[in-house]
Amino acid sequence: MLGAAAMTNSIPEIRDVDLMFVIGSNTTEAHPIIGMELKRARRRGAKLIVADPRRIWLADHADVFLQLRPGTDVWLVNAMAQCVVQAGLVDDRFIREHTEGWEALRAHLAKFDLAQAEKITGVPAGAIREAALLYARTRKAGIYYTLGITEHTHGTDNVFALANLVLMTGHLGLRSAGMNPLRGQNNVQGATDAGASPIYYSGYQPVLDAAVQEKFSKAWGAAMPATQGKNLNVMMHGIETGEMKAMYIMGEDILLSEPDANVLEDGLKKLEFLVCQDIFLNLTTRYANVVFPGAAFAEKEGVFTNTDRRVQRVRKAVEPPGEARADWQILCDFARACGYPMPRYGSPADIYDEMAALSPRFAGISHKRLDATPRGLQWPCTGPDHPGTEFLHKDGVAHGKGKFQVVDFRPSSELPDADYPLVLTTGRVLYHYNAATQTRRDAGTTAKVPENFVEVHPDDAARLGVKDGEHVRVVSRRGGVKAKLWLSGRVQKGCVWMPLHFAEEAANKLTVSAGDAITGTAEYKVCAVSLVPAKTAAK
Amino acid sequence: MSDAFNLIVDGKPVAATAGETVLQAARRAGIEIPTLCTDERLAPAGACRACLVEVNGQRRLQPSCAWQAAPGQEIKTHASSPRVKRHQDTLVSMYMADHKLDGEGLPAETPNGNDLRAWALKCETLALPRVEAPRVARPNDVNPYIKYSPELCILCGRCTRYCDEVEGVNAITLTNRGSRTTIGTAGMRGLLETSCELCGGCVDTCPTGAMIEKKAPALNRAAVNKVRTTCNYCGVGCQMDLNVEGGRLVKVTSPEPGTTHNDGNLCIKGRFAYDFVHHKERLTRPLVRGADGKLHEASWEHALKAAAEGLLAVKKRHGAANIGFISSSRCTGEENFLMGKLARAVFGINNVHQCAAT
Repeated sequence: MLGAAAMTNSIPEIRDVDLMFVIGSNTTEAHPIIGMELKRARRRGAKLIVADPRRIWLADHADVFLQLRPGTDVWLVNAMAQCVVQAGLVDDRFIREHTEGWEALRAHLAKFDLAQAEKITGVPAGAIREAALLYARTRKAGIYYTLGITEHTHGTDNVFALANLVLMTGHLGLRSAGMNPLRGQNNVQGATDAGASPIYYSGYQPVLDAAVQEKFSKAWGAAMPATQGKNLNVMMHGIETGEMKAMYIMGEDILLSEPDANVLEDGLKKLEFLVCQDIFLNLTTRYANVVFPGAAFAEKEGVFTNTDRRVQRVRKAVEPPGEARADWQILCDFARACGYPMPRYGSPADIYDEMAALSPRFAGISHKRLDATPRGLQWPCTGPDHPGTEFLHKDGVAHGKGKFQVVDFRPSSELPDADYPLVLTTGRVLYHYNAATQTRRDAGTTAKVPENFVEVHPDDAARLGVKDGEHVRVVSRRGGVKAKLWLSGRVQKGCVWMPLHFAEEAANKLTVSAGDAITGTAEYKVCAVSLVPAKTAAK
Repeated sequence: MSDAFNLIVDGKPVAATAGETVLQAARRAGIEIPTLCTDERLAPAGACRACLVEVNGQRRLQPSCAWQAAPGQEIKTHASSPRVKRHQDTLVSMYMADHKLDGEGLPAETPNGNDLRAWALKCETLALPRVEAPRVARPNDVNPYIKYSPELCILCGRCTRYCDEVEGVNAITLTNRGSRTTIGTAGMRGLLETSCELCGGCVDTCPTGAMIEKKAPALNRAAVNKVRTTCNYCGVGCQMDLNVEGGRLVKVTSPEPGTTHNDGNLCIKGRFAYDFVHHKERLTRPLVRGADGKLHEASWEHALKAAAEGLLAVKKRHGAANIGFISSSRCTGEENFLMGKLARAVFGINNVHQCAAT
């Protein structure tokens, strides 16, 4: 555990990396330009290890491809760690100087032997060992992961297991070496950075810290809440149970994006009041009492913070349509309508200044400075002369010592059985973006992937008597959706894969809402389903 | 630095470091050498011959894009070498012999410019007999984004090398031989039926406008205003230029390679999927649910009042503990900051989270 919620390295550092370990990230589709850099690095001679239940495009470029069974990441990574121990490749000095808890982990790892790992993960023991030794022996080794690691009920365990591997080899605090969660949305990093979090104000200042509360209370002229808030998952469950009474939702179609959509939809009907703010009508707005028309990125000023902590400007190029307004203006107008004296910000530059003044991590950033910096500024950036921070943990682990975490394998919350014999994983394709409200309104992206599909292994298809191109119903305990069948050598036998982009056949009608115990992140990557030919299902 | 040295270009010392090409050193010193097939993202190809220079001791002219700079090496460009000048005048004329020309006999202008035209304007071109090259396009290619016009193609191979060396997709290739050589695909299929990911890197790197965006086939470049911004799709945060004409977003281009962390690259979504911005289904007025249970258009004043009263009434009935605020990873940092402020300062609750937390 490293204590910083961000990529430790930067995208340009991929130019100098010697080994890339990509796990649970379909990089070329979900982060195309980082995927491109990985491919370029591979081409100039860097080694590439890819671990994924699916033979993703990047696997074709890999030196070692580990096609593990869905949800067995902890076994794979712990077995790799045990290989590193056995080969005597741990970095004793780094462990001594920068970490805690090594002995406990070392003892724990002994039970993750290769033969058992092969049995559970389905990956040949030799490949696991090869990957482990390649990683341990390469100083400039970067790990890149994303939702394939985190969207599990044991997502935090997966991250801990990877962090253990990083700490025990000391592949940290060096240019191109580190641990890199690739963030999904344009501003997912920036949203939490800015304090859209139930436990942090902007700049990761804890909401329970009295001094922080006082600072914000003074700046905003209002008493600050004394307790932590509900996180997204808790709020979603609260909507379902009727505990949540009202919601203000900006820029998300929760019915499409959140798990177990049928139950959530019933909950939305029970809300006493719902405000939505978006650029299009969507599934959720059907239950809204008020809908505010917001602005698209090309119609407003501001900043996005990308996955490598890079704060960059967003600039207004065209006017919002009709009476639509920039979202920052709507939020200010709404706060004033509620009787709060929101300042009359001249532009988002003023809002950023307010945030920077309250947040030491961003204190050196302003629109003015960003306008003069075409490559953006990477936080931490603590003062006007601070150049920003290319990679983290340069002088050891940033927050005290890196803690090894003992993690055990826990199976996913819903495993296949006789009724639902297939494991469904959901994910993204290059040609659409999340709820696809934008990409499905464009001809080329739609031409590439026009409709919902499900990738099925030829053996499974033959057993079920379904053919390539045929429409099938994919059914879980929670619902069913229609999809065109793609016979695919990319998925393993017993596994199927479906994109989440199609509102009318939303994959999240199938997924489980069980979440990770610590983060609440839902298990979008594993649930049990069955396939029925669409003709049979209609009867 | 120990590996820093000078070479001599047109009689003047020019600083270089080991491993640099003559072209790189000369360009940094502000010395002009024409190129067509050069893209910093690609390995030097030496294909177009536009950058040939005289190298002291070498019998033949050498491509400066591929020739390694060496200490004390004497280089002559067209500025000081009549031989290089003669070569350039002849070469540009040969390119023009099978290139699409405008009414004045110059290489045709395109919505994306034409480097051959710009270069021809600086040369004393010769009147060579016209060559009708039987190059074919892919007339049945229905992909909605990328158009290829063989009559504007100089076969420099930037697009095909980009597709291979940078994008790693190898959807397009130089195909056929001799004067029939063209940019083809496997079986001359349309791009939608190939491994092409429609990233548009071929359009971006093409020097002559032979590859252009189908969405902007007749753009008036002079009327376009470019606005630098950050892409609104994934978390890579590519920098891009929104091309605006008459208040509308008409094209997206990528910044110069080497100037931003995306190195001049964009994917299909960033470069092409912007139609949603001016889409007819965009919300243009606030909506308020009426007594009939349906959403109706309303004034801002009315909608803001209805929303504020609605949420404040729930607060009054149940307290703020069961009111939630969902912010957006798709909105700006400032907007997320304000959503936190709204929840905390206005409603006194920390129930604020962003949509991508799960």
